Amino acid sequence: MSDALVANLLSPAVLFFALGLVAALVRSELKFPEALYSALTIYLLVAIGFKGGVALAEAGLGRVWLPALAAIGLGAFIPLWTYPVLRWGGRMAAVDAAAIAAHYGSVSAVTFLAATNYLAAIGRPYESHAVALLAVMESPAILVGVVLGKRAGGGPPVPLGLVVREALFGRSIFLLLGALVVGALCGPDGMEKVGPFFVTPFQGVLALFLLEMGLVAGRRLEDLRRVGPFLLAFGIVAPALNGALGVAVGTAAGLSAGGAMLLGVLAASASYIAAPAAVRLALPEANPTLSLTAALAITFPFNLTVGIPLCDAFARLLQP
Amino acid sequence: MNLHPMKLVTIVCEAYAADAVLRLLAEVGTAGHTSFPVEGSGARGRRLADIPEYANTQFEVITRPEVAALLLERLGAELFPRYAMVAYESDVRVLRPGKF
Repeated sequence: MSDALVANLLSPAVLFFALGLVAALVRSELKFPEALYSALTIYLLVAIGFKGGVALAEAGLGRVWLPALAAIGLGAFIPLWTYPVLRWGGRMAAVDAAAIAAHYGSVSAVTFLAATNYLAAIGRPYESHAVALLAVMESPAILVGVVLGKRAGGGPPVPLGLVVREALFGRSIFLLLGALVVGALCGPDGMEKVGPFFVTPFQGVLALFLLEMGLVAGRRLEDLRRVGPFLLAFGIVAPALNGALGVAVGTAAGLSAGGAMLLGVLAASASYIAAPAAVRLALPEANPTLSLTAALAITFPFNLTVGIPLCDAFARLLQP
Repeated sequence: MNLHPMKLVTIVCEAYAADAVLRLLAEVGTAGHTSFPVEGSGARGRRLADIPEYANTQFEVITRPEVAALLLERLGAELFPRYAMVAYESDVRVLRPGKF
């Protein structure tokens, strides 16, 4: 376990993330152009979606529906337990508790990518079609969180159609699902054609993207003072518990150790793109600094460094 | 040169509000707008715009005084409670009043 932890900390992905954090902390002038951030995002989502689609074509839908159902259930369940903890344990306003619960039930694609990277580095096989789990797990928690927040507080009326559209068809999920379908239609033949572009450079692109994520997270570190000790602790304890839950559910749904670890990482991760957009729309009274700081400045670095190896160790432990 | 008085309404908002602002501009009957991404700081602290999803948008709208008044009134009533934004009006003079 400690070897795997050290190996993860010394991987290019994590070290570049740390470099980004340092750059933000020393207020370096390093800055990624917005267009590069968008381009890297598109590349990563298309690459992972396409690869997953090809794997899906090979595995067949029959092997995916149960884990996918488990992922949807997990996504919907996480806000149900985190909301009361935040509301009454953390004495937070109802909308803030609901907003944070939505962020933590939804998923972070980058964390998932880093986890697949980790598995590839240690040579553990996993179901490549697990990316379908990433796709289906993004929205349920957002919808549950929004309903929780709406039940608790009045606020201005919400264009519910817009929220559903935002939760289901945000930019990232559209691209991911689109690439998944393209990959499934192309199959292995298509992979042969685009593999050199989408597979070989993937780890390098991810490292570059994580450098930018380090900058993004680092710039929000000073907001940590504003979120209070409860949310700080929540940002570490909640992903650890959710990760364990995800691994257990994944194992029960018949996933391999690698696949169960990925479902664990998905459960542990907190959304910082899709959830903020939908929550801003549906629960405008919620303070976005709380959820975004917790997701980006606490939980994301925790998962990247410690959470991923922890989920992996637990997944191996549970494997029959 | 023959210049005509008009109002310039400037709206600075989080990018999440952009769609709602655009709908409102159409509803009150403005003839056009200019928008661009911006970053800065405000009463609630820094407004980081490091990734597109967290960006802020500035809208500039030149319009007739009565439309500007309606726009500001509805902004205040409908969008200010929902989104992080500021809006202000200034006097400008334009060459071709028929365009606005």
